Amino acid sequence: MKRRGRGMACMWYPIGFTVAANPSAAVVKVNEDGTATLLTGTVETGQGSLTILAQITAQELGIATDDVHVVSADTDATPMDTGAIASRTTYVTGNAARMAAEKAKLTLFEVAAPLLGVKPTQLEAQDHKIFVKGFPQRNMHIGDVANHARVVSGQPPIGSASFNPETLALDPETGQGKPFGTYVYATQIAEVDVDDETGEVEVIRVVASHDCGTAINPMLVEGQVEGGVAMGVGFALEEEMLFDAQGRHINPNLTNYIMPTSLDTPDIEVDIVDSYDPTGPFGAKGVGEPTLVPTAAAIANAIYDAVGVRITSLPATAEKVCKALQAKREQQPKQIGTGAALDGAASINTAVQ
Amino acid sequence: MVNVTLRVNGETRSASVPPETTLLRLLRDQFNLTGSKLGCDVGDCGACTVIVDGQPVNSCLMLVGQVEGREVLTIEGLANADHLYPLQKLFEHFGSLQCGFCGPGVIMSAKALLDENPDPSTEEIRDALGGNLCRCTGYTKMIEAIKGASCILRGEEAPLVKSA
Amino acid sequence: MAEKPKVIEKPDVLERPDILKPQAPAPLVAFPIEVVVPEGRQQTPAVGQRASRADGRLHGLGQTKYIDDMYFPNMLFAKIKRAGIASARIKNIDTKEAEAMPGVVAVITGRDIPCNSFGPSLKDQPVLADTRVFHAGDGVAAVAAVSEQIATEALEKIKVDYEVLTPVLDPLESLKLETPGVHAPSANIYGHKVIKKGDVEKAFAESDHVFEGTFRTQMVEHVPLEPYACIAQWDANGRVTIYSTLGRITLGRADVARTLGIPMSRIRIVATVVGGNFGGKNEIRAEPAMALLSKKTGRPVKCVFTRSEEFTSSTTRHPLIMDYKTGVTKQGKILGRKIRLVLDGGAYCSWSETTLGKACILSAGPYNIENLYAEAFVVYTNKTMTGAMRGFGAPQVCFAYESHMDDIAKALGIDPLEIRLLNAFDEGSLSPTSQKLHSVVVKESLLRAAKRFGWNGIGDGVGNGNGA
Ligand code: FES
Ligand code: FES
Repeated sequence: MKRRGRGMACMWYPIGFTVAANPSAAVVKVNEDGTATLLTGTVETGQGSLTILAQITAQELGIATDDVHVVSADTDATPMDTGAIASRTTYVTGNAARMAAEKAKLTLFEVAAPLLGVKPTQLEAQDHKIFVKGFPQRNMHIGDVANHARVVSGQPPIGSASFNPETLALDPETGQGKPFGTYVYATQIAEVDVDDETGEVEVIRVVASHDCGTAINPMLVEGQVEGGVAMGVGFALEEEMLFDAQGRHINPNLTNYIMPTSLDTPDIEVDIVDSYDPTGPFGAKGVGEPTLVPTAAAIANAIYDAVGVRITSLPATAEKVCKALQAKREQQPKQIGTGAALDGAASINTAVQ
Repeated sequence: MVNVTLRVNGETRSASVPPETTLLRLLRDQFNLTGSKLGCDVGDCGACTVIVDGQPVNSCLMLVGQVEGREVLTIEGLANADHLYPLQKLFEHFGSLQCGFCGPGVIMSAKALLDENPDPSTEEIRDALGGNLCRCTGYTKMIEAIKGASCILRGEEAPLVKSA
Repeated sequence: MAEKPKVIEKPDVLERPDILKPQAPAPLVAFPIEVVVPEGRQQTPAVGQRASRADGRLHGLGQTKYIDDMYFPNMLFAKIKRAGIASARIKNIDTKEAEAMPGVVAVITGRDIPCNSFGPSLKDQPVLADTRVFHAGDGVAAVAAVSEQIATEALEKIKVDYEVLTPVLDPLESLKLETPGVHAPSANIYGHKVIKKGDVEKAFAESDHVFEGTFRTQMVEHVPLEPYACIAQWDANGRVTIYSTLGRITLGRADVARTLGIPMSRIRIVATVVGGNFGGKNEIRAEPAMALLSKKTGRPVKCVFTRSEEFTSSTTRHPLIMDYKTGVTKQGKILGRKIRLVLDGGAYCSWSETTLGKACILSAGPYNIENLYAEAFVVYTNKTMTGAMRGFGAPQVCFAYESHMDDIAKALGIDPLEIRLLNAFDEGSLSPTSQKLHSVVVKESLLRAAKRFGWNGIGDGVGNGNGA
């Protein structure tokens, strides 16, 4: 019989490297028509980081995402970057891109200030215009300013900057210190059906509430969460690299290494938690890795809720759940009192290994 | 060496290749159609999916000997100089692909599904994509896009903004 | 000094004869010539928009160029011979027969690599194993040939003489001092971390209940849909351009410079869109070997891993063995927690230090725990190296601390949501390393997820372990 269960798990996860410096640099060049180019040494590995960086750059310059072309990942041309790792691109490279764009913008302000008859500090960039704060009607198109910067003032608007999260070394004995610039938080709740005869687990639905600071692009955040949950389902139920007694691989192929297909992936409901991190670009933190962190735990708790067995080793394959169910049936009579759940857990632990 | 002549995306193409050449290698190495991807070469991942005589197949499993005279449609043959194919348009709109490596295969599987079944349910879509692995997306936004494309192909209006 | 480029007279007969034939007519334009920019990309302010990705359309058209989609004139194809033995001494590698095969252009072994070691922290990983094999996926030789098929066949002709050694496979075995060192004379424990706060034993003594649990996780592969690939092209100025599926080109260039012993200014690394990373493409793999094959042949050399090599010879996720002990009050407030983590570090360090650190720091969970002792070890085993993978140890410890949390809640008869809300961080909470936390929204995420899900507490006939 299929039994339904629900389980939750929450988590915290840091952005960037543990204490170690992990800087990113960026260069922003504003073209004569007010569009721009961002140079970054990070690599698009599918997360959409280049789109996020374009959005951050565009926001700072007051132009649209499509106005920013991103050149990336060429050691001959792009500035140093620690790379697509540690959920750091939005936060670290994003900060660098924002600061580089700000520098280019300040050049534009210097050029525009005399034309608008104000000081550079009184200017703002928005909606393709550079205008006087509080007097939006006193404005110039960013393209006109950029062109003026080149042909009249001889000050091409280019900015470069770098960012490295602020950390403090950990005490070697107690591990006390400030290892990361910031952290994100999340909760996932899973609903599963467990077949109490075969031990097969089907994940029906996962609700994932994730904090990423400001969501620079909610669509890409959803994409990260959906993909992370799917990967978490694989970690929880299916995936395992196996070795024989001599240490040779048993299943180095996708025929025998089982990972989630469209049929195993649950309905995933993504919920973005409002939050703002003053240290991130426009309040953003990051979201890449944390998306799969709580999934397996939520599923394991849902399995417990459904059939009362505690899976203590992953993956919770049908075989393993089935064995645990058998062990539970055999010692059912003993399970009375408060400590029972834990006694049960301990015995299941031995049973499944 | 064997000579093979077939129709690819509406054009007659031929090549002379070793008999162990797969349709995937033929497309990629001989015809420069690199849209179809090699993810495993043994039929496990679906990244190489193309449509042969109306049926979606893993082109890494088909040898040149099996494609003589047949009609092959690859990802390169879906759009024309005027329009993206609706699946391509909606995959872009919904951000259905991330790294994109699985994309050509997924879109060809979806195209084959929609040719057969113009109004598939979520379950039917999940079934049709069962042989296409994607590690990035959790398939969610692909399913949305395929639903949207099916609307367009039926002449209805597609829900362009996600109803969250 | 600049290398003299090899003059290529005429491509030999074996070389894909059909390439010399005129190609079929170029296909018609396969994409709309008119550019339509999706709305989200045109709006200001840019932040917060559901802007579609710039590469989204190219993905859908099959026009995104991954490494394997790039072809250069005269390009060779390389394959790497894998040991297939978990631990062995290499007595001899005989490449003569392979080298003599028609179509094989060059063969190299670990002895050809100027500095045969790399790694993001410990430099314990060879580009190609030269004297010792530490796991079954180690490469022992690389062949460049005019076709992939010939390169694959040539691997069979390479004869390696091994003295097979007993592998260490169990991380708990490896942890024991008497176990022979995988990398002897180096110790098997190659990383250790402690986080200590308050007095955990005192906390246990003051607790109403103390709970214990042991949890384990498995080895997982990243399975990016695009297997590892790179193309190296050595030019007449002694400069090498490497197109690679690397997620970290800056580090990659440093590693290539070190292994080849050439200045960074002579190395260009270009990464196109990577077909999935998840941590598995964060350090170099075959780049130095391909650069040397290109140098030796004067031709561009491409190497694409098979799916099987992706499993055996790229990094994987650390399996963890996690012991938890937690003291709580009757109400479910955590007073103290003691944790021991053992990470199976595989054959090489790779990103183990980062994983060890993150796992240890995060292992207590997002909870206020004043008395904490967390200790983590990472040990060598003769298995595929474990490295960076999405979450760096966090999914493993989260599985443990959250399963453990539910066990405690169950035993105390408290709702899982309640016990979490009772212990979770607030704005300004101190982390296990006593870092003052800001922008903390763990409780918000708990409440929002519960609301969205329709969580209505246990004991309502749904969540009591009896099924719906
Ligand atoms: S490459 Fe054909 S199914 Fe994987
Ligand atoms: S988008 Fe990366 S595998 Fe599907």
